[in-house]
Amino acid sequence: MEWITVLNYPVYLAIFICIYGCLAIGLNIQWGYAGLFNAGVAGFFAIGAYTSAILTSPWAEGRLGGFDLPFPVGLVGAMLLAGLLAWPIGKICLRFRSDYLAIVTIGVAEGIRLVARSEEWLTNSARGISAIPRPFGDLPYAKAQLVYLGITALILLVAYVLVQRQAVSPWGRMMRAIRDNESAAQAMGKDVPYRRLEAFILGSALMGLAGALYVHLARTITPDAIDPMLITFLVWIMVILGGSGNNRGVLLGAIIVWVIWSTSEIVTDQLPSEYALKAKYGRMFLIGLLLQLVLRFRPEGILPEKLRKEPREERRVGEQDSVTQATGNIIN
Amino acid sequence: MLSFVNFFLLPGIVQGSIYALGAIGITLVFAIMRYGHFAHGDLATFGAFIALAFTTMLGVSPYIALPLAVLATGVFAIGIDRLFYAHLRTMPKIITTIASFGVALMLRSFVQVVWGVNTTSYARGITRPENWFGIRVKSHELVTLLVAIALVVALHLFLTRNKWGKAMRAMSDNPDLALLSGVDNNKVIALTWIVAGGLCAASGFFLGLNTELKSLMGWNILLPTFAAAILGGVGRIEGAIVGGLIVGIAEELSVLVIPGEYKVMSAFGILLLVLLFRPTGLFRGKVL
Amino acid sequence: MKAKHLGLASLLLGASALATPALADVNIGLLNGITGGAAAMAPEITKSLQFAVDQINEQGGVLQGEKLVGIMADDGCSPQVAADAATKLVNVSQVIGVVGPLCSGALMAAANSATIPAGVILISQSATSPEITTLKDNDLVFRTIPSDEYQGQALARTLLDRGTKKVAVSFINNDYGKGIAEAFKKEYEAKGGEISGYEAHEENKSSYRADLAGLAQGGADTLVLLDYGDTSGLTVLREAIENGFFEKFVGAEGMKTSAPIKAIGADNLTTFMASAPVSTKSEALDIFNKAFAEAGGDINASYVGPSYDAVFLLALAIEKAGGDKSKLSESLRAVSNGEGEPILPGEWKKAKELIAGGKAIDYKGASGELNFDANGDVPGSYALFKVAGDDWEVETEMK
Repeated sequence: MEWITVLNYPVYLAIFICIYGCLAIGLNIQWGYAGLFNAGVAGFFAIGAYTSAILTSPWAEGRLGGFDLPFPVGLVGAMLLAGLLAWPIGKICLRFRSDYLAIVTIGVAEGIRLVARSEEWLTNSARGISAIPRPFGDLPYAKAQLVYLGITALILLVAYVLVQRQAVSPWGRMMRAIRDNESAAQAMGKDVPYRRLEAFILGSALMGLAGALYVHLARTITPDAIDPMLITFLVWIMVILGGSGNNRGVLLGAIIVWVIWSTSEIVTDQLPSEYALKAKYGRMFLIGLLLQLVLRFRPEGILPEKLRKEPREERRVGEQDSVTQATGNIIN
Repeated sequence: MLSFVNFFLLPGIVQGSIYALGAIGITLVFAIMRYGHFAHGDLATFGAFIALAFTTMLGVSPYIALPLAVLATGVFAIGIDRLFYAHLRTMPKIITTIASFGVALMLRSFVQVVWGVNTTSYARGITRPENWFGIRVKSHELVTLLVAIALVVALHLFLTRNKWGKAMRAMSDNPDLALLSGVDNNKVIALTWIVAGGLCAASGFFLGLNTELKSLMGWNILLPTFAAAILGGVGRIEGAIVGGLIVGIAEELSVLVIPGEYKVMSAFGILLLVLLFRPTGLFRGKVL
Repeated sequence: MKAKHLGLASLLLGASALATPALADVNIGLLNGITGGAAAMAPEITKSLQFAVDQINEQGGVLQGEKLVGIMADDGCSPQVAADAATKLVNVSQVIGVVGPLCSGALMAAANSATIPAGVILISQSATSPEITTLKDNDLVFRTIPSDEYQGQALARTLLDRGTKKVAVSFINNDYGKGIAEAFKKEYEAKGGEISGYEAHEENKSSYRADLAGLAQGGADTLVLLDYGDTSGLTVLREAIENGFFEKFVGAEGMKTSAPIKAIGADNLTTFMASAPVSTKSEALDIFNKAFAEAGGDINASYVGPSYDAVFLLALAIEKAGGDKSKLSESLRAVSNGEGEPILPGEWKKAKELIAGGKAIDYKGASGELNFDANGDVPGSYALFKVAGDDWEVETEMK
């Protein structure tokens, strides 16, 4: 056995961590910085995946596209379209508290799944799109995986650096001000709805990017790949566990959650089938429980959000200060 | 005309009353505790399967299992609140909403572990509809409607005549004021959960009775149930009922104009329209 | 990013521990739909797969007496889960070949992202989508189950032969439903039948009455229902019978499960029939049925024959190729091409001796002759089943 084949699985795992890292940073912009509850991460992921698939795959009969465009065009297209979709949704929902956004985004994700399932001319419906190219996909398996890991890691790094720069800039402080006290920020003359919309679109675009990265890894996409549970929920756990508002934290969350999720499957698959089934669903139960435990014992996450010039203790979400409580102006 | 009533209007009303039962719970939780409770659908699944457990274990008819399941789910809902939501009360409300997603997942996997993922039903066999002057109603559809009406009337009496019902309404209108007037916060919350959980179990039960029991059944009605609550106006019981019926009927009628695949999207369409043009809902509820 | 290194390092340890099988074992992956849409069929399929593995090991194992080890993984009937699971099988467990996955969408993903790039052969026992025929697979994807293309056509011809000239079609909106519905529609209309209603339905709706009312307006008395009997198909069937939308119901093999009989009752299903691939009555089938029943399996469960055959064929190919991964496809074709000494289910020892002696063999499986065509597909034979007592019974053979 060559060393390179032994590395295959960790490499595969790491690629997924990079993809989920992208999703987590996208959600972190929305939730961590702007307090927006997007429960339809899977929908934006799917938009990105399908966009890139249509743009880059070779021509095929009976569906849109097959434009055979290069990989980077697919990525950019995925981001653009995901952002574009976020715009009207944000316009409608961001006026209200985030509960409304949550239910609407659930609907959006479901709607996108239905479109992907039903519109033959667009997505080849249930059969999905295959033969999607992967950059350097012609190399031997192990090498191709390594190269692709390099690509995803690089893209994640770029996204991280750009978002991080924004976060520590005045923009980031403004976003946090809006999140923590909307009226105060408004009184200071900040255009609250516009800024929120900005964060929502930016985050969604990153989710689209992650979708594109996934589709070039899997090389095929069918509507069933848009599993709301798997994508949306895991990303939420990653963000909350790692520490919302802290990009490094959510990346750590992505690593921890995905490693647990993926490797635990190896264990459950070893069980006899009657227990394997139960163990499978038990695994989801544990993920749900993990969320509850984090919210209970460390709501700020493993790596809490860092705020400058302010002692950390006061900023714990868990110790909601009395001022915001009294005004009733809670994270919106 | 008759076929319109039989195949579109009547199923719509039955489905709508199922949504309405769930929507009442959502609207109560929304109004009194001020967060969207996203585990509501899966709580309905749980209630439906509890009823199944009663029918199989005790060997009783599903209709006897119903009150037991309603009570059990109500108590269970209090337990969920104590375990997972109570300690989040001082935090931003949206955190509780997130927690409710986790609870939804846990409830669903619990059902999947215990009862498996296959479709089952309360009773073997089929019920053919009875013919009333050309209108065809199945007995369990009739029961669904009657019990839903009875539950709603009972709830209405409770909220308007009973001391605790009034306290719940006071909490919903203005929690601070209610607190100052000596309303016991914790008791009202527990009461709300009993009512919301019980109604939720009833909606899950009737969904299972009219169709089949499956582990994702509740999650699939979450969106229409929320749409119904928001359409009616958050905090308005009568709104939730009307909203539920409108969503239910609209869903069934939608196949006349849109392809069947997109049927489930009609509730979503209604939700968007309400949010765009009348966020307070038909009955001028709260907007959070 | 210390944590990352640490995580990866510990993972690497864990992975390599798992990746190192006991010496002298030959690993094959069994990608089974333990969760997801096909979960109801999984337990019996598992038994059948395990039965084949055990039988081979009892009769001397593969190659130089090495043990054949079936490593079970879950395809979740979902592309993402299957791709992940297949990657683990190929890279962690280092399997030489894969049997499965159960669902077509899962197969496309698993094959495209893991097994084809890694050059691992894959034999599915139940993925029936016509799409798989045209998959660019470097001759690495095979099936022991015929494509739905054939079944849809056969169903159309059989209905016409039986005098049903007008039907409404309702199908589940996924790759399975759509694939078989299209094949049916094309053949049925080409042969002069009339389709008065043709509509997809979503899997997770609680009620389909309005959809059915729409379909019934076309005036057909027969509903062709292409769905799964464990999920939405059951709901559609129940509502159609309860409300009297249609008189007769015809399903395909997805509907031929025990769930409708259990839930609706056999006496209400007198006008319900379902087609399914059958193993043409053969000695091979009898042998398999007897042995499998003795091992505690249910011989009427879906896909147990094809599952057994898939494992047996894969093992034969391994034997023939001498364990050389790159020669597996070629060897698989060689052990089941209609030429050579016939090998029946359970005759592993005999096959092993013949291969060792350099003689040509031809496996005749429980599910049929299994002579693969250029696309790795097998031709199918089907029968129309009706409900009798609490079980399914062959009504007529299908041409």
